[in-house]
Amino acid sequence: MGGSISKMMAKIFGSKEMRLLMLGLDAAGKTTILYKLKLDTDVTTIPTVGFNVETVTYKNTKFNVWDVGGQDKIRPLWRHYYSGTQGLIFVIDSNDRDRIEEARTELGRIIGDREMKDALLLVFANKQDIPGAMKPNEVSDALDLNNTARNHIWKVEPSCATSGEGIFEGLHWLSNNVKLPPK
Amino acid sequence: MEAASARYAARDQFAYPAQAAATPLLRYINNACSPENFEPNLALCLEIADLINAKKGNAPREAAVAIVGYINHRNPNVSMLALALLDMCVKNCGYPFHLQISTKEFLNELVRRFPERPPMRTTRVQNRVLELIEEWRRTICETSKYKEDLGFIRDMHRLLTYKGYQFPTVKREDAAVLNPSDNLKSPEEMEAEERAYQSAKLQELIRRGTPHDLQEANKLMKVMAGYDTRHKTDYRAKAAEEVGQVQQKAKLLEEMMQGHRQGDQVNEEGVFEELASALASAHPKIQKMCEEESDDTEAVAKLFEINDSIHRTLERYKLIKKGDVEGANAIPRGTLGVSGAGVRQGPNNELSLIDFGGAEDAAAAEPVQSTRPEASKSAGNALEDDLLGLNMGDGNYGQGGGISLGTADIMAQFSQPTTAPNSIFSHPTRTTGSAGPFGLAASSASEQSSKPQTPIPSASLHQRQQAQQTKASDPFAAFNTPPRQASPAVFQQSVKSATPPLSSNRPPTAGNMDLLGMDSDSGTNGASTAPADDEWTFSSALPDQPHNIIVTNSDIHVIFTVTRTSDNEITIQSRISNNLSEPITDLIFQLAVTKAQTLHLLPQSSRNLAPNQNDGIAQTIRLENVARGQGTNVKLRWRVSYMLDKLKKEQGEINDLGVS
Repeated sequence: MGGSISKMMAKIFGSKEMRLLMLGLDAAGKTTILYKLKLDTDVTTIPTVGFNVETVTYKNTKFNVWDVGGQDKIRPLWRHYYSGTQGLIFVIDSNDRDRIEEARTELGRIIGDREMKDALLLVFANKQDIPGAMKPNEVSDALDLNNTARNHIWKVEPSCATSGEGIFEGLHWLSNNVKLPPK
Repeated sequence: MEAASARYAARDQFAYPAQAAATPLLRYINNACSPENFEPNLALCLEIADLINAKKGNAPREAAVAIVGYINHRNPNVSMLALALLDMCVKNCGYPFHLQISTKEFLNELVRRFPERPPMRTTRVQNRVLELIEEWRRTICETSKYKEDLGFIRDMHRLLTYKGYQFPTVKREDAAVLNPSDNLKSPEEMEAEERAYQSAKLQELIRRGTPHDLQEANKLMKVMAGYDTRHKTDYRAKAAEEVGQVQQKAKLLEEMMQGHRQGDQVNEEGVFEELASALASAHPKIQKMCEEESDDTEAVAKLFEINDSIHRTLERYKLIKKGDVEGANAIPRGTLGVSGAGVRQGPNNELSLIDFGGAEDAAAAEPVQSTRPEASKSAGNALEDDLLGLNMGDGNYGQGGGISLGTADIMAQFSQPTTAPNSIFSHPTRTTGSAGPFGLAASSASEQSSKPQTPIPSASLHQRQQAQQTKASDPFAAFNTPPRQASPAVFQQSVKSATPPLSSNRPPTAGNMDLLGMDSDSGTNGASTAPADDEWTFSSALPDQPHNIIVTNSDIHVIFTVTRTSDNEITIQSRISNNLSEPITDLIFQLAVTKAQTLHLLPQSSRNLAPNQNDGIAQTIRLENVARGQGTNVKLRWRVSYMLDKLKKEQGEINDLGVS
């Protein structure tokens, strides 16, 4: 009963819920982005061993954001988080040109999984505040998104987790493009 | 109106998942449950099971949800097909699927079409559902390694029983496939199994997503990613333990064959067969382990030895089964100890349990055993008698056995189950419920096939006695003894398994021994180093100063202070403390020594212990006929019984008094 009312409200006011999975190499800034979203403060983080999950409401959309650690030991466990994910946020350290290739391999592996085939792909080209960081188009070229993500709707968003720049823009794009799951 | 139709649609969501199946898995399930099948399509069912196993991740859940949808289909034929498929998946997909069928949602959905009160006659679909639940409860809920995750199945069973549903009886043998296999596993396989378990568990925890589950998931991730190594299982240790179990089976079979004479029928066909097949299946695994362990030559050598002896045992078994006892005896009875020393001299084929060959053999074999020098003085029968009074070959149990108990009535218990003259294993099929330490040992050993993970915590006296025999004469003793005697305690240390520690007197040793190498340090004191070093006679001269031995430290704490008082006598001061904050009453402490020594127990200072009382019971024990230098070889066996809330008993053994 209560459920049906809230569903009705959801229909009228167009609020929706979205499950987002935030992945990326270690030290790309995933946890910082998560807490920037949640608390709107710049927190100092330590490497995530395991995962963090927070609910963020932004413009009628409730985002369940899962931030899973990015160290190579944890990467094999990413796949456990795929199921039910509507949007993948892949965070890139735009200043780390050495590991962009590694990031590309990992990204390919994630979006190639069957469970992720309907997910939107948002790439945060993070750490734009550092001079000399790769620009969004450089990042999309380096990741070869036109090829690897050709079956997905994707976007590269320049961001700076510490200042919060670009992050909500990214969420906005996600909420505009999400297909309501058949309920 | 619209609401009604919406409700209708929602209700039929499970009954008619007719919309085009999105994934191959769902398509297969759809085909397998299609009413066009007149009977379950086994090939397709197996393919589905394989697909679930291959995909892992969300596949078990996806399949379970789809299948239960078909189970609630209006067409009972479809339901039956779906139930057959479900059964197949449960039996072939292992833990990940078990986890899914034990979720609340699944179980509720499974019994969705059950009326509140049981109908006069259950339909065949309902009957099959009940049968499956009963089957799961009797198998995976009891025997699975991870049964604590499957609690809801039990709850559902209880609920249905409460509502008045009758469960059909399930034949244990039919459902036995759901029990974990007791085949020998190599370290890699065990690790893979554990990984599969962790993956499935993590997936499910993340899916459920309650705060508590997420916390668990985070912890599990740390373990899986290798950051949290506290609970890391040492798979090599486990493998060694399992090899030890295989050895025990081989030993048991060997013993049973020795009790077997020309012309006897193999009347315990079942037990013989079970043991032999367990050994046969372990055989290739050991070979594989040999390859995998190739960097550890010592381990490989040991494994090869075990392998060979198992092979011989099997050959012998085959011959005996054919009735060719002579031929069987011609094969050296090398298996793991029972008759090791005697057997090396092939021709001596007496069928006694302790086959020491001739006196020369015994003499040749004995001196290397610093454990039992008093035995080396005697020979032949006397030697056998001296082995802690175990006259297994002949029937005079409990008369003149070597153990002279401080308190009498124990001998009676020892002799209780030994009605058959040949061997104590005449009744190996005895169930666990049967009384007496021997009955228990025999049955727990023969039951290992179904419960391989149980390290037999009872560690009854019999096992120890047997272990001792092995020690005395066994070429494989170096490997062999620890699993029998020390292994449960030692491995619990290293594996940190949850099983209650054995009431052994051996102080637990550090777990990081060389596992397959099974260094003799696994024992504690000087005495137990003997079996590993068959070929050397070790002697030592310990100082006369008092030596403390912690006999047991459970509810009660018993400590011995051992002093040599004269050239012939050792005095032990026993002090017993209460570790609990509850009073202990009626405490009786009993002690036994081998026949060569004489024991004088002075009266206990009391029989009761106040809560947490320290050294509440004191007792002086004098041990005579212990020549200087023999202190490290004295064997004591102790028992203690006391009333806590109920009568409790402990027992154990001391192999070394720590004074010369």
